[in-house]
Amino acid sequence: MLRGARGKQQVQVTKRSWNVVVFSIGGIKLAARTEDVGGVSPWTESIPVPSRTPFVQAMLKRENHVMPVYDLAARLSRTLIGSPLLCLVARHLDGPMAICIDADMPSLETVDATAIRSNGSEDIETHGTVTIAGNDVAIVALQRLGRSTQNIVTR
Amino acid sequence: MSLRGHHNSTNLPVETASFLVIRLGDSYVALPAEGVRGVLTQEEAGNEQAVTSAGTIFQPVDLAQRLSLVAHLSGLEFRTVLYSTGRSHSAIGAEQVIGLTEVERKDCFPLPPQFQRDERNWFQGMMLYQEQLVLILNPLWVLGESADVVPAPLEQGREMVAATPARIGESC
Repeated sequence: MLRGARGKQQVQVTKRSWNVVVFSIGGIKLAARTEDVGGVSPWTESIPVPSRTPFVQAMLKRENHVMPVYDLAARLSRTLIGSPLLCLVARHLDGPMAICIDADMPSLETVDATAIRSNGSEDIETHGTVTIAGNDVAIVALQRLGRSTQNIVTR
Repeated sequence: MSLRGHHNSTNLPVETASFLVIRLGDSYVALPAEGVRGVLTQEEAGNEQAVTSAGTIFQPVDLAQRLSLVAHLSGLEFRTVLYSTGRSHSAIGAEQVIGLTEVERKDCFPLPPQFQRDERNWFQGMMLYQEQLVLILNPLWVLGESADVVPAPLEQGREMVAATPARIGESC
């Protein structure tokens, strides 16, 4: 009898590859999972907000919406390159967050999940590092960006 | 006989809040209007640090310095805002007084949860006014009735902050 056999034949699909967006900040190549990226658009001037939260000291206004800006370039001690700069919207756990990135248009890549290596330095929240076009690229965990710096004392 | 087309109109009360919007450097901040006791020119305020008005002494508050803002507090548009909660009275320097505005409470929205530190105590929310983002000051902090403390862990809305906030009345 064939009935019921189908269930046994179900194959568990495991995610073997990750789709990532590769972007750059101050010339450093970084990546983010595509599902963590809300979009990329031209950067518009941000509005400074008095704040003591590390790297969260501005807001971006888009029509009737505002979102906080995360200064990833400052965290990485890099100066952004090119013009016009771009805005990458991170789908952060606390809500959308704007990140200013280099003018280089981000690209889409597919990486083998088994090729992702854990990141030893932990300078920044990542899912690990992967080699793309011969370069080691950190996959930034946009969802939890900034959470490990919450205890940094400023001023 | 029915009166066709005649409807009982129900006017739901609209909750509003009034604010005095001021500018400090490039930042626009708002003070709840109920605490405003007066707005003085430099000449009216005089050169003394504290301002006495109607028998009340208003102690000077340098908001720009407390918020680490670069403001030019000596221009022609400089004003001193006399502010009181009833218990405390302060004379707040403003680079420019933008105006008095009344907003529906639904148009005030909270500071995004990514802002984690003292600023959560400085500002009780935000609003848009004349296309500008305006930060709504916490009057208790302004008047020194609330210390710089980091509030409890945040569990606010995780949606994009829009002009249609979920928590009416919490931000203004």
